[in-house]
Amino acid sequence: MNTFLEILKPDFLLHHAVWGSVVAGFVCPLVGVYVLLRRLIFWGVALPQVSAAGISCAFMLEALGLNMITTGEHHEKHLAIVGAVVFTLGAIILLAGLERRASAPSEGRLGVLYVLAAALSILFVSWNASGENEMLGLLKGEIVSISETDFHAMLDLFGLAAAAILLFQREFTLVSFDRDMAMTLGRSVNVWDGALFLIIGLTISLGVMTVGPLVIFGFLVIPPMAALPWARGMMSFSLLSSIIGGLSAFSGFYVSYTRDLPLGPMVVCVACAAYLLSLSAERILRRSP
Amino acid sequence: MKNKAPEPLIRLKNVSLGYGNTLVLTKVDLDVRRGEVWGLLGHNGSGKTTLLKSMLGLIARRSGEVIGRPRFGYVPQKERLDPVYPLSSFDVAAMGTYRAFQWPFGRRRAAGSDVVRRCLADCGAGQLADRRFGDLSAGQKQRVLIARALAAEPEILVLDEPLAGVDITTQQALLPLLKELKERRHLTMLMVSHRISAEKGLFTHVAWIDEGRVDSGPAAGMLASGRISDIFKTEL
Repeated sequence: MNTFLEILKPDFLLHHAVWGSVVAGFVCPLVGVYVLLRRLIFWGVALPQVSAAGISCAFMLEALGLNMITTGEHHEKHLAIVGAVVFTLGAIILLAGLERRASAPSEGRLGVLYVLAAALSILFVSWNASGENEMLGLLKGEIVSISETDFHAMLDLFGLAAAAILLFQREFTLVSFDRDMAMTLGRSVNVWDGALFLIIGLTISLGVMTVGPLVIFGFLVIPPMAALPWARGMMSFSLLSSIIGGLSAFSGFYVSYTRDLPLGPMVVCVACAAYLLSLSAERILRRSP
Repeated sequence: MKNKAPEPLIRLKNVSLGYGNTLVLTKVDLDVRRGEVWGLLGHNGSGKTTLLKSMLGLIARRSGEVIGRPRFGYVPQKERLDPVYPLSSFDVAAMGTYRAFQWPFGRRRAAGSDVVRRCLADCGAGQLADRRFGDLSAGQKQRVLIARALAAEPEILVLDEPLAGVDITTQQALLPLLKELKERRHLTMLMVSHRISAEKGLFTHVAWIDEGRVDSGPAAGMLASGRISDIFKTEL
């Protein structure tokens, strides 16, 4: 109990790490709801990896003398953001374009993208041996050492993403559920699809740098899976997913801190436990008369 | 003096349609006027849905002209809609009112709710409002989708194979519903079908789609013509 209260104190050493994880836990499932419903789960696997490749590419280019961003206090973070956003949005535009035109199955394309991004991440890191340590930290997600400025920037961006997802929920649901109906109603489906993919891309890019690809994929998929059987409408689905994500992040941090275990894997395991609990409860309720 | 025919709600003039390098339909001429009920008939893969989608503006035409842009209420093939969405029947029907962005909790949104409930009730689906759409039977889903199309306050109600995949009893319930809605709401309808035994009494006009061409005219004459009656011999 003392540890629990200690974590909640504003002067707790890892204050920003706790609340950074929790915010990512609340916001990523809001986006994950659409990743799940539009059956884009493999996007959830591939895009964090692409984002990671973007981070390592940005650092490699810097090491080769291509200074994209002026030096400063948060130089590394900004460099990572640029790399992650450029690669992720580029991959989304490419995938969305191929989705309409290519005849090969989309899972195959995503598989190629994932494995290519994983290979490039390793190659970019190996070409930039001097900054390997800092870069590996960013690739894994540096939530434990997140600074106050980064924490507030993260709050702003995740806050914007969450607000947009909730405010335009009807539009995103309509174009996701029945694209043809949306078009007959005169809605610009490409604009709304583009807006949704942009939010997904930015959330994944930012999330990869704060909590890492593993946790981001976990947050995108596991809380919505746990919430789906209990959801009554899109708003309840989104809010329930978000609450499960936020609570999993906090509980994962607590266990990780008290047992001295790695944070990311612990958060994923706690979220999976919530999913199993949800699944069991649903089965029990379905069997009971 | 002869009565002049009313202006068509939508007119297709010499329209050609296709996908990729394949031309599906050529030189289509079609006028749809207020109050008419059109059956778009033909074999599977003949281009019925392609024609329908071009009228809805969902696919671009290769050549020709489409004059008029009426308000459509669209009832798609229900199998196309993913049942995994945790949407209630009310949520699905309410999509018909999503023509423009509305602020959450606004007055217009509340007014829209009343329209949706009325449409569900008109389609005999009022009691389904709170049930999950994905859990409904085929016939129940069809009623909700018709309610959704009505909520769009359409000038033309467009139905893509509305009786496909529903049992005889449900067909017998849906047809009178469509007839009643047509009378009560003075609807113009376009209905795609690859069989006609059940729907033929509803059509005032028929477009017969075969081998890339469209023949059209009043239902009585078209259904009695040799070509269609030969093909649908058993049904007629």
